[in-house]
Amino acid sequence: MHGEYKMPGGKLVVADFEVRDGKLTRVRISGDFFLEPDSALTMIDVALEGMPAAADSTHHAAVIQAALGPNVRMFGVSPEAIAVAVQRALEMPG
Amino acid sequence: MNRSDWNDFKWRLIHAAPQPPSLHMAIDEVLTDEVAARRRPPTLRVWEWSSSCVVIGRFQSLRNEVDAEAAHRHGIEVVRRISGGGAMFIEPGNTITYSLYAPETLVAGMSFQESYEFMDAWVIDALQGLGINAWYQPLNDIASPAGKIAGAAQTRRGGAVLHHVTMAYDIDTTKMLDVLRIGREKLSDKATQSAAKRVDPLRSQTGLPRSDIIKKMIATFRRRHGLAPGKLEPAELERAVTLAESKFSSTAWTGIVP
Repeated sequence: MHGEYKMPGGKLVVADFEVRDGKLTRVRISGDFFLEPDSALTMIDVALEGMPAAADSTHHAAVIQAALGPNVRMFGVSPEAIAVAVQRALEMPG
Repeated sequence: MNRSDWNDFKWRLIHAAPQPPSLHMAIDEVLTDEVAARRRPPTLRVWEWSSSCVVIGRFQSLRNEVDAEAAHRHGIEVVRRISGGGAMFIEPGNTITYSLYAPETLVAGMSFQESYEFMDAWVIDALQGLGINAWYQPLNDIASPAGKIAGAAQTRRGGAVLHHVTMAYDIDTTKMLDVLRIGREKLSDKATQSAAKRVDPLRSQTGLPRSDIIKKMIATFRRRHGLAPGKLEPAELERAVTLAESKFSSTAWTGIVP
């Protein structure tokens, strides 16, 4: 599944994943945003792996925020924007 | 962290003969680390390219951004840089690219937004000196009445900041759109732009050769901040050549976000 979201005043966030047994798997978040440190991208993918697909985007955003902690800095992207990209992928037909 | 000023440093200029894409990626990593370790003074590097390439950002999906078959057909290499941001389409002479390597104290206490604008204030000055009514366009662009001129990207490593920028001099967009997959979301953001065959905001608004614009930019930096001639040290080049091969030419790195 594939979803894209251009964060207002920010950058493009892309979510690619599969859903197996109602859970997100093989999650890959990407885009032209900025993250410091760069290892935070893997932390986001890992945080979303195994999440229930039925969870709403507020819950997905909270899980991402909790996984990143206070030391990761984001520019042009946010946990909420990533959650919207995930939600859009889930809503895409096929 | 105490804030430092541009003029607290003895800036060096590196403007070498054309180099291949993977080596440029590696030089950025090496020089950022050298400035972080205080072995090198803060440096402005102007890039010259020896071959065509697509440079994708650290967090972009290789498959989503690049049509691998089209890139291969046009003989265009794909490399990934260490900073975030978007894909750039490079052919020798079609862009002006530069990097700044500085201690992070130069941007201490600033938001990312402020630091981007701050690091490129000298470029806005240079462009205005060339008669272009340029301005900084958040988050990370330099814009003009004839459209977007440049995109900037930063990364921070070990107490140093790398700020690099690619400016469109004269880009063949037909080839670019062949190779880059520009998503629907992205295009919706640029819906007002026409599907021009060329994107040439620097060439059309100055009427100057690329090399004259570079000269003006360097002179502006020197006037504002001081700038002494410099070069890549042999040890730096040696490390960069090794890294270009082991990391920046590897599918492990280029495909790190598949």
